[in-house]
Amino acid sequence: MPILWLICAVLIIAAIGFVIGRTRAISSGQGDIRNLHSLPSYYGWNVALKSMVPAFFVLIVWLIAQPLIISSVVSSNLPETAIPEGSSAGLIMSEVQRTSNGVSAAVISGDLDSAVLADSAADLSAVTEALKNAGQIVTTELTQPIWDAALSYRSMSNAGTTAMWVVVIALAIAGAVWGLRQTNADFRARNTVETSIRYMLIAAASIAILTTVGIVLSLVFNTIEFFRLYPITHFFFGTEWAPSFSGRGGSSELGILPLLWGTLYISVVALAVAVPIGLFAAIYLSEYASKSVRSVAKPLLEVLAGIPTIVYGLFALLTVGPLLVSVFGEGGYLGVDWQGGGRAVMTAGIVMGIMLIPFVSSLSDDIINAVPQSLRDGSYGLGATQSETIKQVVLPAALPGIVGAVLLAASRAIGETMIVVLGAGAAARLSLNPFEAMTTVTAKIVSQLTGDSDFSSPEALVAFALGMTLFILTLGLNIFALYIVNKYREQYD
Amino acid sequence: MNDMRLIDRAVDMKDIKIAARDVQVYYGDNHAIKDVNVDIADKTVTAFIGPSGCGKSTFLRSLNRMNDTIDICRVEGNILLDGEDIYDKQVDPVQLRAKVGMVFQKPNPFPKSIYDNVAYGPRIHGLAKNKADLDEIVEKALRRGAIWDEVKDRLDKPGTGLSGGQQQRLCIARAVATEPEVLLMDEPCSALDPIATAQVEELIDELRENYSVVIVTHSMQQAARVSQKTAFFHLGNLVEYGETGQIFTNPVDPRTESYITGRIG
Ligand SMILES: Nc1ncnc2c1ncn2[C@@H]1O[C@H](COP(=O)(O)OP(=O)(O)OP(=O)(O)O)[C@@H](O)[C@H]1O
Ligand SMILES: [Mg+2]
Repeated sequence: MPILWLICAVLIIAAIGFVIGRTRAISSGQGDIRNLHSLPSYYGWNVALKSMVPAFFVLIVWLIAQPLIISSVVSSNLPETAIPEGSSAGLIMSEVQRTSNGVSAAVISGDLDSAVLADSAADLSAVTEALKNAGQIVTTELTQPIWDAALSYRSMSNAGTTAMWVVVIALAIAGAVWGLRQTNADFRARNTVETSIRYMLIAAASIAILTTVGIVLSLVFNTIEFFRLYPITHFFFGTEWAPSFSGRGGSSELGILPLLWGTLYISVVALAVAVPIGLFAAIYLSEYASKSVRSVAKPLLEVLAGIPTIVYGLFALLTVGPLLVSVFGEGGYLGVDWQGGGRAVMTAGIVMGIMLIPFVSSLSDDIINAVPQSLRDGSYGLGATQSETIKQVVLPAALPGIVGAVLLAASRAIGETMIVVLGAGAAARLSLNPFEAMTTVTAKIVSQLTGDSDFSSPEALVAFALGMTLFILTLGLNIFALYIVNKYREQYD
Repeated sequence: MNDMRLIDRAVDMKDIKIAARDVQVYYGDNHAIKDVNVDIADKTVTAFIGPSGCGKSTFLRSLNRMNDTIDICRVEGNILLDGEDIYDKQVDPVQLRAKVGMVFQKPNPFPKSIYDNVAYGPRIHGLAKNKADLDEIVEKALRRGAIWDEVKDRLDKPGTGLSGGQQQRLCIARAVATEPEVLLMDEPCSALDPIATAQVEELIDELRENYSVVIVTHSMQQAARVSQKTAFFHLGNLVEYGETGQIFTNPVDPRTESYITGRIG
């Protein structure tokens, strides 16, 4: 709540600055805006931006930095003895933070007398009781070091917050004054505002990029950590996937090959289903279908894209799997005994393909529609039929886009999880038989991290290495897609 | 040989290649062509002139059913090619367009190599017996399109990489390669310099020996130079149609006179 007020205070200062700046500008032009370099509102914006931007920037940095700094100071003051056996400094620090926050809340709600705060020798069991009564989560009985640390944490936080208020408001006012001093008829306010808008846009773009970098870095560090615990060659070239969960370190086999094979096999089956059907559907819809058919069929097809993947998973498990068994299984229509159970590469691949159809078709449809009508006219004008025109003119012109769409679909297939978990099973296996159960990288990431996992064991950290591999795979695919698209663009634009 | 042709021509001049009867064209509610009657003679160049937006392109496109590709476009009346109604249900528009070729107002080379652009029609219609034959057809068409010298070293480069005027000539070559009986040309020289224009006009004159050519143009001089017959359109009406010499020297309708002397349009 107080932070919200601080934000309001800065906004109010900026608003006042805007009004004053605008008025000042008009009066410095002797009341005639034609004497000004810029429109009056630009002068107002100049003042408002100068007061808001630095103040908010400092506010954000402060909010992020303050808890970090205070924690490190407090935890360095914590005596070694305060950390019980089997616990860590991190756990104790979160206990300290909880206590400190709990005390603040309890004081406000009146459950705790603020007098005890000044008293480091307070009766701790009474304080614990009071905190619990106030509904604050305090896990264990408070101990003296934690209580001391919580008190110093609290006082430092309060001091820091007060300082933050003062600094931020001072900055807002200083910025407004700076902007107001600049305001006179010759000041190029319009250009200044333009420049600051550009920097704000750059800042937004940087946040997007930095987040990506952050995610990648966290993947990278955890992957490196994993490779310290598990040999890298075993991971990449191991043909067996057999993690042990009993915690008997060193007995796990964590080879990625069976998982990668399952991922690629299922994706290939999925694309073999989705690409022809999706592409032909797109060609029909964009070239042959009448307006009325199109207006019904296109939304219907796109409904497929809105179905959650877990529903597709159920469909795989309950419908497609048994259906395939009744055809390819023992005693099936074909009289062959290829498929033992409903869960198989085929089951997951076909259902994933169905999921990807609208994805491929709606992207291709847009791309085919973007091919200029004049090209079709040119072909018809030479006496070509519709399918000749599509095959020889429209599709080649649309090819880069279609390749891009297919590769995007491939990325989705590689990243898909739910359909695999339900449709393909959980058995990691290197096999050529598409009617056997297999599993994929994504499905194994899920199973390695569900349940009680200890995040420092190789069995859990392997998830990051798997994720990293998947990321590089899709990244490579996207770069390849871009390359294809650019190559053809160079040739045909 | 030449004499023979001259005699042929004198006879053929009377043949009517395309006859339009009470043709109406609508774009939705917009009545773009109103009651047009015109006879286009074989082995003749017919020029369509008229102010922008008067319906020249629209009428030209209705002669080979290119308007079929526009959803909202509706054609009424009869258009007869060699005495047969081209809007008859029996008629396959694809066959029709192979006979009545078209060069469009905006150049539209395919995203293929220059060679493949020109070879497109001959390949579809099976005009070449073998590769050498096709090479010959392509070269001849490019020469007739007055662009051979500029592209002979880059036949495998994309046609879209040519300049606007080169693209226009490529499209002319592409249309000629299919050997149509009638060639409809919508402002084929709009992006050409005087030299290329002269070459295209030469081509048109040459085509006249075997084909019927209809050309839309905004240049009075060009219409006067290349055509034997001229049709003047105004606001969707065919105002006047006759011998080119007569239209330019002695127009009957005052609107024609105002247009060719530069007072309307
Ligand atoms: N695809 C279309 N959809 C709707 N209306 C059209 C379409 N094409 C042309 N029209 C309309 O038909 C009329 C005739 O157009 P047209 O293109 O035949 O003119 P034009 O004589 O060829 O003109 P210009 O000399 O500028 O090429 C115009 O009013 C135009 O707005
Ligand atoms: Mg036109």
